[in-house]
Amino acid sequence: MARSRDLSGVVPEAPYGLVAQRVVEARTEQLFEEARDVLDLGDIERVHDMRVATRRLRAALEIFRPCFPRSRYKAALRDVKALADALGERRDRDVTIEVLERLASELDAGDRNGVAALITDLRGAQERANESLAPHVSAVRMEELRGRLRALAAAARS
Amino acid sequence: MKARKVKGLDPGAPLRENAGRIVCVRLAELRSFLPVALEEDQVSAQHDMRIAAKRLRYVLELTEDCFGRSGGESRKQARQLQRVLGDMHDCDVLMPLLERRLARGPDRGLQLIVSRLEARRRELLDDFRALSAEQERAEGVWERLDRAAASAAGTNNAASLGNRG
Repeated sequence: MARSRDLSGVVPEAPYGLVAQRVVEARTEQLFEEARDVLDLGDIERVHDMRVATRRLRAALEIFRPCFPRSRYKAALRDVKALADALGERRDRDVTIEVLERLASELDAGDRNGVAALITDLRGAQERANESLAPHVSAVRMEELRGRLRALAAAARS
Repeated sequence: MKARKVKGLDPGAPLRENAGRIVCVRLAELRSFLPVALEEDQVSAQHDMRIAAKRLRYVLELTEDCFGRSGGESRKQARQLQRVLGDMHDCDVLMPLLERRLARGPDRGLQLIVSRLEARRRELLDDFRALSAEQERAEGVWERLDRAAASAAGTNNAASLGNRG
């Protein structure tokens, strides 16, 4: 994930408002780069990567809050939070299953029945969380969000 | 945990000055959870400190060049803190889940996992205490960042920006 030195124009002397524009543009594009195959339960790193990109975008919005028009900022932050929450619900299940599978593998075969039943239940919860996530990452919803975030970045004042 | 408000930010001023103000507040927020978070049973303070470490890390990812050498060094330290507190949090999330399951009836495998998680959490708490002691020592990483952030913000009084008593 890009740090400041990887983002053009983000230097200590640059106006805060100009940096806000550059950073939110960059973080928005990074989020959309991470959106591919996010509903694939066979590759849980996709959700992890998109969730991290969402967190970084949200952090950038909060860091540069005074640079944006208030109502547009609030609307964009609300949308990003909703996406982050849906990703988080899926990710929590992914992590719990992953950790329990690792811990179960360290047990003797005869001791694994209880944890196996728990993992089966968690897989059901994981699928439900994936179904809840699906509308948040649909192509239409994502394009709308991208448009709002680009407009917000362009409205940054310095 | 709601983030502390940063006062005096100015979109027309340089990034350095604004970043200094933000880092003073985020660092003070992080340190405000000590010494309470070092106690074994203070799960809520440990959770909030993890969030505070994450906030400081994300600010530094964008602004570390404003603080000289201490910027990058502090970002790495915030990440380490976030990691150890995150691993403790994972144990705190898993254990109640397993205990609820065990309440339905005894299960040797689940009980073994609970015991391993308890031992793992104790190890992580020791790691957290050692890391925190190093970060908090005189002339340690947080003192250096505090000075660099106050200087970037154009003040020699970081406490006034960080809302500390």
